[in-house]
Amino acid sequence: MAAAVLSAPAVAEAPSEPTALGVIDCDVHPYPNTIDTLKPFLSARWVQYIEQSGFAAPPGTRYPKGFELAARRDAWPPNGLRPGADPDFARAQLLDTWNLQYAVLVPLYGHGSVHNDDFAIALATAVNEWQTHDWLDSDPRWRGSIVVTPQLPEAAAQEIRRAAKDPRYVQVMLVVRGQAPYGKRHYHPIFEAACDAGLPVGIHFGGWGTNPITATGWPSYYLEDHTGMTQAFEAQVLSLVSEGVFEKFPDLRVALIEGGFAWLPPLMWRFDKNYKGLREEVPWLRKLPSEYILEHFRMTTQPMDEPPNPQHLLHILDMIGRDDFLMFATDYPHWDFDAPDRALPSVVRGEQRDKIMSLNAAAFYDFERA
Amino acid sequence: MTSSVHDVGAAASFQVGKPRRVEVQGRGFVVLNVGGAHFAARDVCPHQGARLSDGRCKGHVLAAAVGAPLAYHRGRALLQCPWHGWIFDLANGSCLTDPERARIRTYPVHVRGGRVFVDLA
Repeated sequence: MAAAVLSAPAVAEAPSEPTALGVIDCDVHPYPNTIDTLKPFLSARWVQYIEQSGFAAPPGTRYPKGFELAARRDAWPPNGLRPGADPDFARAQLLDTWNLQYAVLVPLYGHGSVHNDDFAIALATAVNEWQTHDWLDSDPRWRGSIVVTPQLPEAAAQEIRRAAKDPRYVQVMLVVRGQAPYGKRHYHPIFEAACDAGLPVGIHFGGWGTNPITATGWPSYYLEDHTGMTQAFEAQVLSLVSEGVFEKFPDLRVALIEGGFAWLPPLMWRFDKNYKGLREEVPWLRKLPSEYILEHFRMTTQPMDEPPNPQHLLHILDMIGRDDFLMFATDYPHWDFDAPDRALPSVVRGEQRDKIMSLNAAAFYDFERA
Repeated sequence: MTSSVHDVGAAASFQVGKPRRVEVQGRGFVVLNVGGAHFAARDVCPHQGARLSDGRCKGHVLAAAVGAPLAYHRGRALLQCPWHGWIFDLANGSCLTDPERARIRTYPVHVRGGRVFVDLA
């Protein structure tokens, strides 16, 4: 079987010419090395709580990853820290290697699954403070995402208002697999605070393990969980539009991060078609769902959808219909990293390529706030 | 010269809020009486060809804002396709949810002497 694979036509992309504009990476994951990393940013009460209880970290994924800590094998720093825990190593391996213009940090910490509300709030603030101190202060190319407690929307709004004072934060961050669809009114204080701060909301792959990725229960494998994550993204898009979030918050912008993008056109078709017959359920909507989607959402590219015929990618981009819609991302340091010089097929050229690799992100995120 | 105006039936035969199919020269039309005002359109949905006369006369559901009480306004000549639920405004033929791309052809209607006349010009 291996011979058959080796003899198959090569599909890997050759390296492309580096863009003179400088690539912008919209999805990089920093991790606290251990809970000790966060202690300087927690009050004495919570440090004592951690030490007495032996708390190590919030519950993680229910699926062992294909790679330890879901990391590229070469992303383990030689100093023994975990992947994504050493800003200097990440700077060299990511920012410098690819000469990135900016990279948006998206911390994935499981405070959303912590049932102690006060502890969850403290952890979210600590992650933000650690992000500021250890990462944003270490290199001017990093930009931050404000992590919040979506299970406590008022506290999340308070944290947004606090952290957004640092202009290096360019978005509010949620994970896609939440406890409920984010369009529900319970969550609106988060969007209100984001709009007040002038920040978009990023919704990222993953979740805190409380809901299966399918509507038919728990699948067996990470393969299914990872591939099926688009279901959660679709659900969030449906919810945010249907619940009228963009009528209530017309300035709200949402980035869908690490959800792929090829699924969007058929979702828009289905959504528009059903809306025509079911408008009465959502009479606050004033235009077709696809119009809200194309106006308010943007999507990152990773994990790049890879049709066997790369030309089909152009068809998908055409079906999406906006050339300012996609923003490049690597997902460093994860195993499904997209390389800046190879992930986007060479059939995407010229201005369209420049927009995806940097210009769209520069227009969406206000990197110059800082 | 043949007149484009056709007698499609007694006014009393068009009940308020009940769409009814009439046929003129082999073509089907839907006639709708909304509070005494009559409307007519081709009896075919532009989407997948259902007979609109099998549909339902609707009020208009409105919300002033997200979370505001829902209002149900009667009085507009809104007709919902029996298959996929598209709603057309028979006053101008436009689909409520996609007015630029989804339309049905409408015709002037007059009531004289207890008869309903549709002008197919």
